[in-house]
Amino acid sequence: MVKLFIDDQQVEAEEGQTILEVARKFHIHIPTLCFYRAISPYGGCRVCLVEIADDRGSRLVTSCSYPVAEGMYVRTISERVLNARKVIVDLLLARCPEVKKIQELAAELDLGPPDPEFREDHDCILCGLCTRVCVELMGVGAIGFHGRGAKRKVTTPYEEISDICIRCGACAFVCPTGARVLELEHITGRKPVPLLSEFDEGLRSRPSIYIPFPQAVPNKPVIDKDNCVRLQMGKCGACQFFCEAEAINYDMKDEFRDLKVGAIILSTGFKGFDASRIFRLGYKRYPNVYTSLQIERMVNSSGPTGGEIKLRDGRQPKSVGIVHCVGSRDDKTNAYCSRVCCMYSLKLAHLIKERTGAEIYNFYIDMRTPGKGYEKFYEKLMRENVHFIRGNVAEVTDWAMTAEEEGRLVIRAEDTLLGVVRRIPVDMVVLSIGMEPQSDSEGVRRKFNVSCSDEGWFLERHPKLAPVSTFTDGIFIAGTCQGPKDIPDTVAQAGAAAAEVMALIDKGHVDLEPNSAYITDELCSGCKTCIPLCPFKALSFNAEKGISAINEALCKGCGTCVASCPSGALQQNLFNDEQIYEEIKGVLSYV
Amino acid sequence: MKITTMQGLEDARAQGERSLYPARTKITVGMATCGIASGAGAVYAALIEEVKNKRLDATVTRAGCIGYCQQEPLVDVLQPGLPRITFGQMTPKKARELVVRLSEKKGLPFEDAIYRTDEDKILITGQEVRLAAERAANGYRKVTLIREHPYFKKQKRIILRNCGLIDPESIEEYIACGGYRALWKALKEMTPIRINEEIKKAGLRGRGGAGFLTGKKWELCRLEPGEPKYVICNADEGDPGAFMDRSVLESDPFSVLEGMVIGAFSIGSHQGYIYVRAEYPLAIERLRAAIDQAEEYGTLGKNILGSSFTFNVRVVEGAGAFVCGEETGLIASIEGSLGEPRQRPPYPAQKGLWGCPTNINNVKTWASVAPIIFRGGSWFVATGTEGNPGTTVFSLVGKVRNNGLAEVPLGIRLREMIFDIGGGIQDDRAFKAVQTGGPSGGCLPASLIDLPVDYERLADAGSMMGSGGMIVMDEDTCMVDIARYFLEFTSDESCGKCTPCREGTKRMLQILTRITRGKGRPGDAEYLQNLAEVIKETSLCGLGGTAPNPVLSTLRYFHDEYEAHIVDKRCPGRVCKELISYSIDPEKCPGCLACLKQCPTEAIIGEAKVAHRIIGNKCIKCGACLDVCNYNAVIVE
Repeated sequence: MVKLFIDDQQVEAEEGQTILEVARKFHIHIPTLCFYRAISPYGGCRVCLVEIADDRGSRLVTSCSYPVAEGMYVRTISERVLNARKVIVDLLLARCPEVKKIQELAAELDLGPPDPEFREDHDCILCGLCTRVCVELMGVGAIGFHGRGAKRKVTTPYEEISDICIRCGACAFVCPTGARVLELEHITGRKPVPLLSEFDEGLRSRPSIYIPFPQAVPNKPVIDKDNCVRLQMGKCGACQFFCEAEAINYDMKDEFRDLKVGAIILSTGFKGFDASRIFRLGYKRYPNVYTSLQIERMVNSSGPTGGEIKLRDGRQPKSVGIVHCVGSRDDKTNAYCSRVCCMYSLKLAHLIKERTGAEIYNFYIDMRTPGKGYEKFYEKLMRENVHFIRGNVAEVTDWAMTAEEEGRLVIRAEDTLLGVVRRIPVDMVVLSIGMEPQSDSEGVRRKFNVSCSDEGWFLERHPKLAPVSTFTDGIFIAGTCQGPKDIPDTVAQAGAAAAEVMALIDKGHVDLEPNSAYITDELCSGCKTCIPLCPFKALSFNAEKGISAINEALCKGCGTCVASCPSGALQQNLFNDEQIYEEIKGVLSYV
Repeated sequence: MKITTMQGLEDARAQGERSLYPARTKITVGMATCGIASGAGAVYAALIEEVKNKRLDATVTRAGCIGYCQQEPLVDVLQPGLPRITFGQMTPKKARELVVRLSEKKGLPFEDAIYRTDEDKILITGQEVRLAAERAANGYRKVTLIREHPYFKKQKRIILRNCGLIDPESIEEYIACGGYRALWKALKEMTPIRINEEIKKAGLRGRGGAGFLTGKKWELCRLEPGEPKYVICNADEGDPGAFMDRSVLESDPFSVLEGMVIGAFSIGSHQGYIYVRAEYPLAIERLRAAIDQAEEYGTLGKNILGSSFTFNVRVVEGAGAFVCGEETGLIASIEGSLGEPRQRPPYPAQKGLWGCPTNINNVKTWASVAPIIFRGGSWFVATGTEGNPGTTVFSLVGKVRNNGLAEVPLGIRLREMIFDIGGGIQDDRAFKAVQTGGPSGGCLPASLIDLPVDYERLADAGSMMGSGGMIVMDEDTCMVDIARYFLEFTSDESCGKCTPCREGTKRMLQILTRITRGKGRPGDAEYLQNLAEVIKETSLCGLGGTAPNPVLSTLRYFHDEYEAHIVDKRCPGRVCKELISYSIDPEKCPGCLACLKQCPTEAIIGEAKVAHRIIGNKCIKCGACLDVCNYNAVIVE
């Protein structure tokens, strides 16, 4: 440990730490431009200068690289430092007058605009972050400096398209000025495909280490192992330099844990309908055709546009078409109604109208607004002059027939109330997609021994009497895995499922069916016919004895195995052959 | 034929002596790049041809450069028992005549001789080799003795001890001049620590310019844990007008190699690098030849001089940037990276080449090592001044009569350098300023003419020792323009890594250019002063740290010239084109038409025998009229 003074404050630091590290630890602000924690200090920009005094006298050094020493006096804002910093930032400002970061620094130092005589128009301050990150972190070296002095610039070797660039984009990421030269197209000659945020429905990119969404539980970052340079190529590892808690562990592996539980609630949710399956609606063909979920992210104030409704080119739409029943009530996709689309479409229509004042056209088959207060909201929207056109949309196209349609999207739809086919030009199309069972629901269903409807939704034991239970004891369902429903319904069902589970736990034991099956060992031939037939997996094969065995706790007394047993070894309590015969006799005795 | 015993060294010495002082006439041509540039090649060829034609019993050999550039090409004639006579400004014609006179025994053309040498003093051993018999012929005595010749009188040659004397490609001649005695002593009689102590005792300071104590530098590297260690010879001499490193490498490469082996032994290194500017092809060629010979003779490579010490040297050609002469930039360049300096600490002694402890010294420092080791630190301290012992080599150029290399004890006064060795200012003009230390040095005014030249005094005066360039300027020099010129160089050579150097030198250049164009604004001088000071103290490496020196020193000593440019829009040195005008004095002009014919833009009108006139807006101020006028009628204001 060494003791030193920074701006008259005595601080303790570890040997080998730089002045900047220590200052930051004690929240003493020192501006930097060419410093990046994950790579070694460079000392190029000279903005982080501080004045130090030690036995060699007083002088200016770069805090990013200068190691602390016992008894050192450091001044981060002395007159000498400020004068030097002003001169340096003024020089940079003349070089890059339009760069925001430099403008901010200049403002911090009360610098005026640069002398027009010396004004240049660069967007690169030559801090070398990009080139160093490329070599030091990524081990690539696709870009470097070319020329020297004022002619220095960042480029690829021989200014040719790089064939070693891995298109990680780290250079552009660390660039403090957003320099044009780092657009990957200039470096690799190919347009890079950014990693798109799943939560933001692809409306913005995300890094390969990220918190999936603001409310994620646990609210912690995850590493996208398919795209992480560290995990894929053994390079980079920048994130670990930034994590104060030293929580980043690249050696972590996926692990499977066995948990013993008494009850399980399945709430695996739904999958949004893939709108590109309906080709005529133009999703993924026309950039301004969005799904309702994308608009949902857009209207969110923490979303990719900060709550603004924007077209891809940044304009605000002047008219928006909302197409209902995309992937619902349609024989070619899903025949059922997804229940939620009408209401959320109304909500989006309201929000878009409120934020942009755009003309809004809803194309619907029927308006389904059966909840409490829902109809009122529908009426309110009609008063807000949102247009409702009853009819199915035939197609979305950019093929203009009039001047008005030029450069816009045209929704062609039948207006069944007027009995005409209409063409409505809009700037933005919103497809109100329906709900579908999760693509892996079949596997989940089999794992938990739960039945499903013909559409693939999990089946409850009884629609009225046991709406959250399944045919398997201890397995409950809640939410849209059971069928399309809105949030209030989902919450209600989740509460019910939780209550069922609590009742089970509270009781402390499980009531068994009295009519379980049993095996007469002497009669069983070990043919295994019964085993695959048991829907509750209560039967197994006892290899030692060479016969089938039954777990009576699992048996529901359905009798399937009893009926199938060729040797009559399987019998069912309350329903053995003798008892049935007796019952038959009893019934027939009245005849 | 490896030398492993003292006898072996003795044998080589004897052989070298036979070729240094042969029993027949020896004609030597100074054939370093400077000599070759002034025609030594042709002189050499003519000599060989003529000696063959006349069947003269003589050898014609080549030597390096003695440093008297003004008189190149130089030819030495050494006849047995007679003093060595040196002829200057030789031409093939004169050379042929010389051979003819020798063969016809007509006596030498003494009127062309510059100086004579009666005895050679071997610096290392202190031995004197008498060349002339007691009484030489009359003609010989008329020629000035070298030690009385003004150019050499004040010189003391330690670094350049063998330059111009020996054949740079002959290890025997080097050994004959005391070569490898010091290495023998170091390897056989001394420990690495003792060697280090001796260098410390000598107080030798880095001759590359910064003047860091060499002994201290070695010690830091020697004590640094970590293997392997490297030693590097910095021969990336990039200062315009400086050529002493080149001259040493071309004239006496073994002295550098010997110094490096001794240094490596002391530090504990087994691999050395010599980083030479690629623009020095002859130096590279001679170095490579010297390395081959040294390896052959066992003074380099495995088991040096029969000891267990091994040391190899590789020559690396420079990458062509001035900044590669900065030690961290040089290391980066050897590593194959972009030659740009890096942040210190860590210093090269801690983390240098390939991250290993590395010791870098300049050519002249390495060349100083062997004499110190052989004769001891206290011998070295006797030369120079306290704190600045020993000698250093200056390249004296500019408006002095005698251009060339001069090795002088530190502490010599500028006046002695310029007026005694340099012979004063050309054309008897007034001395105005001297710029020392290369492009990053400062300009010292005439008032400092009695300043002793050492590291501290020069730094205090706002200049520096640098690599030893010394550019003398006369009254026709514009100091603002000089500052602008040097800034042009440094801003072009700035690697661009750090902001103050890259953007700051550019800005200084812009402002200086504006001033010299007559567009200076009030406050420019003050702005320059602050800018230059900030650049000086905030730049990453020595290049940026010293680049403002020309500006700062001219602001300090020639502030009135800045004022004249900025306020009066006048250039006192009559250099800045935008600030001067040409006119013809009708009183003096006889109307000879000479200037009128010379003017490229037909700006001069007039007819024969009528005073001419210059049309102001046509004149491009090229100065052609001034050069041709024999009547001093052209006025520049």
